[in-house]
Amino acid sequence: MEQLFDVFNVGLLQNTLRTATPVILAAMGGLLTEQAGIMNIGMDGMILVGAFVAVAFSFTASSAALGVLAAVLSGIVIGLFFALFVVKLKSDEFIIGMALNTFAGGLTVYLLRSIFGVKGTFSDAGIVPLPTVHLDFLDKIPILGELLNDNSIFVYLTWGLVFLTWLFLYRTPYGFWMRAAGEHPESLATVGVNPNRMKFIASIMCGVFCGFAGAHLSLGYLTMFTEGMSSSRGFIAFACVIFGMANPPKVFGAALLFGFLDALGLRLQSVGVPSDLTAIVPYAATVLMLVYVVVNADRKKKRGKI
Amino acid sequence: MNKLTETLKKNRTYLTSLTLSILAALVIGGILMAVTGYNPFEGYAAMLKGVFGSARVFGNTLAKMLTLCLTGLAMAVCAKAGLFNVGGEGQLFLGGLAATMTGVFLQGASPFIAVPLAFISAAVVGGFYAYIPAVLKVKLNVSEVITTIMFNSIAIYLCAYLISSSGPWATDDSGVQGGSEAVPELFRFSQIIPRSNLSTAIIYSAIIAFLCWYIMQKTSIGLEMKVTGENERFSFFAGLPKDKLMIWSMVASGVICGLVGMFEVYGYQARFYSTISNEFYYDGMLVAMIMNYNPVGIIIMSFFFAVIDIGANAMEFSTGISGELSDIIFAIIIFLMAAERELSRVVTNGVRRKKRAAGRKTAAPAEGKEGE
Repeated sequence: MEQLFDVFNVGLLQNTLRTATPVILAAMGGLLTEQAGIMNIGMDGMILVGAFVAVAFSFTASSAALGVLAAVLSGIVIGLFFALFVVKLKSDEFIIGMALNTFAGGLTVYLLRSIFGVKGTFSDAGIVPLPTVHLDFLDKIPILGELLNDNSIFVYLTWGLVFLTWLFLYRTPYGFWMRAAGEHPESLATVGVNPNRMKFIASIMCGVFCGFAGAHLSLGYLTMFTEGMSSSRGFIAFACVIFGMANPPKVFGAALLFGFLDALGLRLQSVGVPSDLTAIVPYAATVLMLVYVVVNADRKKKRGKI
Repeated sequence: MNKLTETLKKNRTYLTSLTLSILAALVIGGILMAVTGYNPFEGYAAMLKGVFGSARVFGNTLAKMLTLCLTGLAMAVCAKAGLFNVGGEGQLFLGGLAATMTGVFLQGASPFIAVPLAFISAAVVGGFYAYIPAVLKVKLNVSEVITTIMFNSIAIYLCAYLISSSGPWATDDSGVQGGSEAVPELFRFSQIIPRSNLSTAIIYSAIIAFLCWYIMQKTSIGLEMKVTGENERFSFFAGLPKDKLMIWSMVASGVICGLVGMFEVYGYQARFYSTISNEFYYDGMLVAMIMNYNPVGIIIMSFFFAVIDIGANAMEFSTGISGELSDIIFAIIIFLMAAERELSRVVTNGVRRKKRAAGRKTAAPAEGKEGE
């Protein structure tokens, strides 16, 4: 029983918020490209570059804000690059996405070695982390206070961004066009909007979101850069986009569920489960969730027919 | 010989773009070296020395080529049938571990029993691990790209656990960290070039590569796979067993990856370490993509990739330039080749326009010819 309390406590929920945040951010970007009709499996690389750039600038400029800004700028560049190949040069999305991941992995390690002279991990007291938020009045509320206080600022910003994404997609003409660019580009073109332009915008916005995700990973969640630190989060985000059918609130829910399972895995370590086994939890959960969603959708479709 | 020149002629544009892409990637790699404060000529010289400098390093390069070639063919086999097996890394890990443990458990048995059993265990485990995502894709339409990527992480962590100090298969040998027991000397492949990684695995690899090429290019199954991969609906209406074709091509892909894992251990590593593969499969996948899943092309290209890869490692050792440069060069080649059709259209159009403009200036008849 005591062990159960070691696993299921407020810390678990707090970890859920922290581990889900980068996935939510990347998934918001991924759902935009998905809506615009691009299969984006290059998010993992985008996150990785964001994480590296954030650390590099936070360290050299001694400012977390500049680190985030640089990560966002790098995201814009990568998004543009991705769109250039996929939209303008009509290359295969799958190939470009995978190549982008390889490129990001290689480039970050190469630069880590040539700029900071280290291999594997770069952690230094000079890296300025993102500030945490503490609201005094929350202290008086028993569980919520502990849960919602002292998180990295991105945890809160993310919730706002989810709402803004929804607002953008479903309540602005741009969002409408973006969805149309994915669903029926020809009719969008007849209205006089260039579908390729919407795809470019979606891709750039995805880059920005992944930049945020990377910055949170290396300046909020941890304060360092590690080789391959995105650890497939971009792919998990892609999976979340698919569970949530590219709908922001649903994708948000899927990412939170993932975060919960990831946190559960971390907590299980405290009761003696080997860390290699707990690391499997989020990946296995992603597969199971994906299968469940697809099977469920099939069943609903069949029931509807009868 | 006639046939060779014919194929070369047919693919002239493709081969030209490939050569140009490779050159461009090497130049960009050189610029990157220069920008980060290294001498690119020194870097590339170190690379070449690290590959052709001695019989031993050249043997390592050939061993690397086998790995890349087999993983590339594994990707090609399923991609031809329309499935993307991104999970070769996981299949490689599990296949390697299965073969290792088979060898360890059968210590003392005759190698004529143990080695074939190791082959079978690697193939079965690798194939089965590819079978699950294939069935999920074909029967339930769950994206195999995501499931195989997730399966990679699951397999890698599972293997890491099994041979970690808290796992059941860790070795007691002192001085070995995070490894399994060693496979008995008698079962291992013998070295072809002393002290290099090149072993008799080259024979098995050649057989596998030949089978892949033969099945894909010369049999009706290969054609059926290609048809299914190009147009699933057509394949269905043509009465081909498309589900079976897709599932089994993925299984074949997994079998090859499992065997690659075994070759790594039996060929030179002797034990299963959690570092058995450093994203080898992803590199092989890139080779396959660059060569449009053409088996002969993959075999040739894997040599070039092996040179860059092994060379980059040597370069890191002797000059301090990060060996990850190889990944950057590979990725740039892919970017350029993936955009090849569109880029070459833009370039040829530009050339044609220039010619036309030049023709207009000099002589009128030339313009008429161009306009046709």
